[in-house]
Amino acid sequence: MLVVMKPSATEAQVDAVVEKIRSLGLLPHAIPGAQRTAIGITGNKGGLEPSLFEGMPGVREAIRVSQPFKLVSREMKEEDTVVDVAGLALGGSRIVVMAGPCSVESREQILEAAREVKAAGATMLRGGAYKPRTSPYEFQGMAEEGLKLLALAREETGLRVVTEAMDVENLAMVADYADMVQIGARNMQNFSLLKQLGKIARPVLLKRGASATIREWLMAAEYVVAHGNPRVALCERGIRTFENATRNTLDLNAVPVLKSLTHLPVVVDPSHGIGIRAHVPAMARAAVGAGADGLIIEVHPCPEKALSDGQQSLTPGEFAGLMAQVKVIAGAVGRPV
Amino acid sequence: MFIAMKPHATQADFDAVIEKVRSLGLTPHPISGTERRVVAVVGNTGAVDPDDFAMLTGVAEALRVSQPFKLVSREVKEEDTVIDVDGVQVGGRAITVMAGPCSVESREQILETARAVKAAGARILRGGAWKPRTSPYEFQGLREEGLKLLALAREETGLKVITEVMSTDTVDLVAEYADILQVGARNMQNYALLERLGKVKKPVMLKRGLSGTIKEWLMAAEYIVAKGNPNVMLCERGIRTFETATRNTLDINAIPVVKSLSHLPVIVDPSHGIGIRKHVAAIARAGIAAGADGIMIEVHPKPEKALSDGHQSLAIPEFAELMREVRVIALAIERPVT
Repeated sequence: MLVVMKPSATEAQVDAVVEKIRSLGLLPHAIPGAQRTAIGITGNKGGLEPSLFEGMPGVREAIRVSQPFKLVSREMKEEDTVVDVAGLALGGSRIVVMAGPCSVESREQILEAAREVKAAGATMLRGGAYKPRTSPYEFQGMAEEGLKLLALAREETGLRVVTEAMDVENLAMVADYADMVQIGARNMQNFSLLKQLGKIARPVLLKRGASATIREWLMAAEYVVAHGNPRVALCERGIRTFENATRNTLDLNAVPVLKSLTHLPVVVDPSHGIGIRAHVPAMARAAVGAGADGLIIEVHPCPEKALSDGQQSLTPGEFAGLMAQVKVIAGAVGRPV
Repeated sequence: MFIAMKPHATQADFDAVIEKVRSLGLTPHPISGTERRVVAVVGNTGAVDPDDFAMLTGVAEALRVSQPFKLVSREVKEEDTVIDVDGVQVGGRAITVMAGPCSVESREQILETARAVKAAGARILRGGAWKPRTSPYEFQGLREEGLKLLALAREETGLKVITEVMSTDTVDLVAEYADILQVGARNMQNYALLERLGKVKKPVMLKRGLSGTIKEWLMAAEYIVAKGNPNVMLCERGIRTFETATRNTLDINAIPVVKSLSHLPVIVDPSHGIGIRKHVAAIARAGIAAGADGIMIEVHPKPEKALSDGHQSLAIPEFAELMREVRVIALAIERPVT
């Protein structure tokens, strides 16, 4: 349930509502908004009676939230959430481009990639230090050494860093170095990890599971928010279908559907979504056309020598070309990049 | 295998190649491009040495086609195919907009829709007269009466008409009235129908089957072209996945992939691809941005009263707004909208 306060409500009246929610054994969640103060309620087993709150001073209305996801739903919070990533706004009118190699491989590689993507207009650097590889025999990432190199690249370029945390054990360390913590597709329903993400002081980029419905994905985001961290962005990266001409099937339907169901920012990963270097720019354009708030693109100084995902990584030159195309579409939908 | 002629090859050189192909018991398909003339060779070419052709006078090269689809592949024909639909070009620089109701329901309904979509900028009118409905108890279409109403709407507005043909026994009848024959998703692999469409003089739009891979889809197009009709356009309309929040999952990946594998025009149907009225425009923008040559949109004067697909049909003002949004994207990628 969502309790909406009148614009004229006093702090004492808000506190009284919070107190009443607690006295019922339920959890209050302040929903920040420019237009109104509202308090979300979770923890109830069945439906609550609006009359419990509607008589209270300062309360405008109490609304039942029909979706199973509550805190992340547009019913609870109408305005778009703008996630603050170390001073960079993700989810506002400006489209944020994150770019960099699949894996951090060496000092030279990450620094060169960082300089190149920055020069082309990216504002965030991606790069995996912990890699969830299908085969246990493949390169698993540089671990903490990789995180240090990402921090070095940030220092040198000013780019914000997004990198993946794979488990509860390394989460605190990843959060120490990263500006945004990425949760990979394979961990979308790792609920112990999601709960821990609720406790960290960093924003989270939650990728969609390869076979996850939009509803399951939003429930996963709800875990993070319900456990205390409202700074969550969603990332569509392609789903598993029968089609084998492409690595995944990028579900761009999800972009407008999510934007109507949730207030969280939506980022699209066309590199994994199609998995074919030549077609990444077309899908990046399509994502922006569909209304995405950001893009995450794999870029490697030498894709043919990459330790992972070389077939879908762009060269710096190709990435600069993609940025030019994306800017044109972004301009057409009235959004700067 | 395909054999490319030199730019200055003579007609006699060309005829000699055709003759040699026939003498080997194979079928030659001449393909004319603006750059060069090509002969695609269909049949069991396993035992044929391309060098036997490469040494003929006027031949630039003879190569095996690595894809299982031949005539529709970019390997055989590099340039985009532009289909002339009675004066409207599909597959050129311009983006083609097809719009109209799911089903033709009445004279008033189709005429009102036709006038409105024309005013908003569409060039081709869609409307089903034969409807492949999941349930046998639902409205099955007005059949020939529907075709007559489409022809009337064409006469009044000048729009070209696209409508679905569901079976071989109605191909001639539908071809008499329609400017483009549509093959629906459920018939993508109805090979008898595909072969029959190879003999028709009208262009064909082949929708992707719900579970058709890109390769299977291109093979289905190959059937039509191999049987003699080169004027085929493809239409991505969403595939079946586990996701239930949307009617289908529009596979926009298919647009750049098909454009690289094939020279045929690619149309996108966001109405079926997402199935939710308020999101059709966003997905239409995405389709154009990804490089589609056209869009097909369901429009109804009163969507809430439509006999089919009302939940995904746009009202007329919504379609006009979609056209504005699509024009902006098309303009950004330097493609006009027709």
